[in-house]
Amino acid sequence: MVKSEQKEKKWIYEDIVGKIPPFSLLSTKYSILLQLLFLLVIGIILGFVFDIEQISMRYGLLAIVVAVSWSLLILQLAPTLRKFRAPLSKDENDLLEKYKNILFHKNHYEALPGLAIFIPFMFYIFYLGTDMMEMWVGKEPNKILIVFVSLLIWDICYRMGLGLWTSALALWRSICLKKLAEKRTELEHTPYTELKYLQKLDINNVFFGLISLLLLPIFKTDEFLVTVTLTFMFLVCFTSVISAYIISKVPWLPPDIYNLVNESSFAYIGTSLGGVTHVTPVVYVFDGQKIYFNTSKEAKKLKTMKQNNKVAFLIDKRDMSNIYENKAVMFTGEVKIYGLKDIPLSLFRMLGTLHHFMKKYPDYTKKYSTSELPKAWQLTPIIARILVEVKPVKIIYWRGAKQISVPV
Amino acid sequence: MNIPDEMRNILYANYFGYVCTSDRFDQPHLTPVFFVYDENSQKIFFITNERSKKIKNLSENPNISITIDIRDPVNPFNNEGVMAQGIANITDRAPIYFLSEETLQLYYDIYLEFKSKYQLVIDNKPMGENDVMIQINVEKMVYWKGPHFKSLKFKKDSQIFS
Repeated sequence: MVKSEQKEKKWIYEDIVGKIPPFSLLSTKYSILLQLLFLLVIGIILGFVFDIEQISMRYGLLAIVVAVSWSLLILQLAPTLRKFRAPLSKDENDLLEKYKNILFHKNHYEALPGLAIFIPFMFYIFYLGTDMMEMWVGKEPNKILIVFVSLLIWDICYRMGLGLWTSALALWRSICLKKLAEKRTELEHTPYTELKYLQKLDINNVFFGLISLLLLPIFKTDEFLVTVTLTFMFLVCFTSVISAYIISKVPWLPPDIYNLVNESSFAYIGTSLGGVTHVTPVVYVFDGQKIYFNTSKEAKKLKTMKQNNKVAFLIDKRDMSNIYENKAVMFTGEVKIYGLKDIPLSLFRMLGTLHHFMKKYPDYTKKYSTSELPKAWQLTPIIARILVEVKPVKIIYWRGAKQISVPV
Repeated sequence: MNIPDEMRNILYANYFGYVCTSDRFDQPHLTPVFFVYDENSQKIFFITNERSKKIKNLSENPNISITIDIRDPVNPFNNEGVMAQGIANITDRAPIYFLSEETLQLYYDIYLEFKSKYQLVIDNKPMGENDVMIQINVEKMVYWKGPHFKSLKFKKDSQIFS
């Protein structure tokens, strides 16, 4: 069962290479390196046999590097999606299954965009009278050389097609996922880890687009091909950036927990050092994605967290009149403590969080800043107040007497 | 020696305590609990399921802390609370006729205490089938009100349970 599933999630190229020894005997990474070496050796041998110019060798090398780097990026897709856990929402699960099915369809739709690029490209090179071929391999090249160049062209075109195909599908998937996420109820959600995987694949595609810039020297004499390459790069990068951005806006908490975290005013932070635990109430903010709390620079828990950044963070709604309505969520995981060294990279995030705090606790902010306070209670960011981000690894949710473990 | 009134008041007037335990890898765990404070022994008691993560952690590491507090969303100067740190002792789950008289008496007292404190919410049945009682032998207690702190250390006394 597992085997057949794995076999399904392969593309033509992966499939073919996977069957030829020695590639079939190696892991993906080494298999790709070996392919690179293999192509390089053939290219160099052909170059010497037919005595082509050095510049042609360099063009060939560049094309091979592009094809292989694209391979490297695109082949991460299947293993990443393979370890993907099912979302805890039927609709979102259906969507992601559909996405995977189209991506790895048994009819190999992924080769179509490649063909759609390859055929006009060959036509353009051989019949529209451009002198690209001459620039690449000289006048009247040997047939074997032409076959090798065509093979490289197919390699490039096929992967360009894959790039377009995967980034367009990713954008469609992200838009649908965002829409479905708005209709979630109770505990439905797609876990954080899975959202991060999708985002990582989108970022991969941005690099995929950027790599196409390496093709520019090969096409430099032909304005049309340069334009096509730049358009390709723009399309892939743009759709992937948008897709990654949309994914970043999909809540990683199910609505029940999201609302609890969003509406509650207080949290408890538990720390532990050498087995000795410590628990205190804190004020916190939630920006829809991340949870931050503030602590005084003098606080015991800060000293503890600097030595052991594992924490438990609990937010609850307590109501003695009806305990079955009580809700609580506990995040266990790690914290990131923001300090001076984080200002260059995270200044806007730190300022944004400060603003959130002032909006959520206006009375606190007022009272803290108008009174004469001991140092531990002063509000000066970084100097007296330290910003801490909670990075959950595990979520436990209680509703009434029921305990539910929610995947992160 | 009795604990100061302000700490006592917090311990008696509140229903929820937040218990923090940690496992052998120093990973903390936090849960809200119902608790009672016993003035005679100066210990805090709560009841939990014997299969809970708390119990698992406590069997690896008996250190425990509990916070009981009053939170005021408007005025932080009204925030008031107590954190007690100490060592947890899990009561034996031996059949009742194997327990010492002392233990039984304590069980009974604490049970009644729970019953009266939480009668509105737990239907006269504070302990379920798989529940165990935990006693916290307090070693240190911290009290705060607004920005003011007070700290109290306890002498190690003999444990009540054998």
